[in-house]
Amino acid sequence: MRRLLIGVVLLAALAVGLIWLGRWNIGPVVITAEDELKIILLLDDPELPGSSIRTEAGLWFRVPIPVISRVITFDKRHQYLNSEPLQIQTRDSERPMIDHYVIWHIADPLRFLESFPNGMQEAARRVDAVVRAEVRKVIGQSTLEEVVTTSRIEIMRQIAELSDESLRDTGVAVADVRINRTELPRTTETNVFARMTTERQRLARKYRAEGDEEGRRIRAEADREARVLVVEATREAEILRGEGDAESARIYAEAHSQAAEFYGFVRRLEAYRKTIGEQTTLVLPPDNEFFELLSRYREGVSASPGPRR
Amino acid sequence: MAEESRGVGRLLMGATLILVLIGGIAAWLSLGFYQLPPGRSAVVLRLGAHVYDEPNPGLRWHWPPPIETHEIIEVAKLNMEVFGYRADSAAEPSEQERVEAAMQTSDNNIVHVSFVVQYRIKDAFASRYQLADPLDTLRDAAQASLRDVVGRNTIDDVLSEKRGVVEDESAEILQNVLDDYQSGLQIDAVELQDVQPPPAVRAAFDDVLAAFQDRNRAMNEAEGYANEVLPAARARAIEAVASARGYRDATIAEATGKAARFSALAGEYVKEPEVVRTRLFLETMEEVLPRVNTVIMEPGTGVLPYLPLERSRGDGR
Repeated sequence: MRRLLIGVVLLAALAVGLIWLGRWNIGPVVITAEDELKIILLLDDPELPGSSIRTEAGLWFRVPIPVISRVITFDKRHQYLNSEPLQIQTRDSERPMIDHYVIWHIADPLRFLESFPNGMQEAARRVDAVVRAEVRKVIGQSTLEEVVTTSRIEIMRQIAELSDESLRDTGVAVADVRINRTELPRTTETNVFARMTTERQRLARKYRAEGDEEGRRIRAEADREARVLVVEATREAEILRGEGDAESARIYAEAHSQAAEFYGFVRRLEAYRKTIGEQTTLVLPPDNEFFELLSRYREGVSASPGPRR
Repeated sequence: MAEESRGVGRLLMGATLILVLIGGIAAWLSLGFYQLPPGRSAVVLRLGAHVYDEPNPGLRWHWPPPIETHEIIEVAKLNMEVFGYRADSAAEPSEQERVEAAMQTSDNNIVHVSFVVQYRIKDAFASRYQLADPLDTLRDAAQASLRDVVGRNTIDDVLSEKRGVVEDESAEILQNVLDDYQSGLQIDAVELQDVQPPPAVRAAFDDVLAAFQDRNRAMNEAEGYANEVLPAARARAIEAVASARGYRDATIAEATGKAARFSALAGEYVKEPEVVRTRLFLETMEEVLPRVNTVIMEPGTGVLPYLPLERSRGDGR
């Protein structure tokens, strides 16, 4: 009873110990972590039943003899590869500097092992080279504008697909190739700056000209409107004055025509008042109406008091 | 007696053994405890395989290693990556910074952009176990997506109106790309800090703004002129008309008055013609004669009239 208990516990402890060693590929147990791919090879022959390709995380077994059975571990994750900028000639003879990166991963561990016996670094170099070649090819068939703006996405997708195709036999899958920077050569950049400057200058001139023209137009419009106002007012004023003159003439005429003879008399008197001035010498006979009383007085008639002096 | 003591001894050994075994097991189990600080997640693997993420802070436990292992990832922390250079910073931008900031627009212009990306880890497991270099990947992918968006807009859009649109679009593209790579990263924001035309052309760009100001100023000045001229003209117009109206009314009133006076006088004349006549005549003469040289002469007296007509001052009758 006691021995059974001890035995069970010791076995359990052994199991735990073997599992622990399994992370390092030692012993009969192999533990594959989530970010790992492991190839278990018996006598370097993947076909033998003792060999296995572990693409899923978990526990597996191997023949625990060191040289005969070996375990190779690879990184299962997406790999980021930054490529050095490269200068490429485009179809329209521009020479931009292209900076890109690659996202790749291992799709077929066995093929990968066969293609790159020296491991991930060797594979990365190869991926870089293949992708660079595709970049050069695809961009060489495009114009600079297509690369930078219009067909950017399309070009990147094409490069990724072609690279993926090229590397398929090596067990590598290229998920994405992205251009993160396109640098124009110095001369092109200078030309672009010159053109930008000219364009801005043109725009500045246009704005200032617009301001001038509009300002002039507003002023001229205001002047014209002012003139119209004054002219119309003058016209109306003349009409009004005319109305006044006409109406007053009519009133006079109406009144005067009622007593035409009397008007004649009164008007003549007014004329005398106005025209006879200091320079005038009047020669009057004494029987002039004005002096009527003088005559009458001489004849001895005194009616009303004489004219006041 | 010795048999009994051996029996007790064995019992004791047995008990001790059991205690030791239990202690060992307990000790081993206690290795499964771990402390999870707040703002972090523990990614738990069982025999290498992912079983769950533990989000709740405090004292936690899983089956002790090597059965289950864990890794602690900071998930709540807001991270920031900076790109390009700031125009207002004291130092001149380095060649590297300048190159990083230069982007081409859809109308073949170059603009210098500095921006930041704010991100968090949204999937702790993915951020550790799906993508090998998340940070480097994020940096390059961010540049690529911003250039993508800038390349589809004109320089004027990027400099002013569409900054928000550019930010949102590139954040969206970046998020999609990072999700495709299963990065487990969450992009909170892409923010444009400085968007400037390149230094070589900055003067020309500034001049356009100045020209726009000039244009507005010219128009405003003209408006000001119009606002002076028109009211003045209106005032003159109103005045002219009012004055004419006044003249008209006054003239008519005067005429009406004078006509009334005449008619009244005429009425008197009709009643007493001689009286009125005489009165009016005498009044006129009263007014006129003092002003003039008057000579009264009897006609037919036979005196040869000699009239020194040059002398006209009132000194003789």
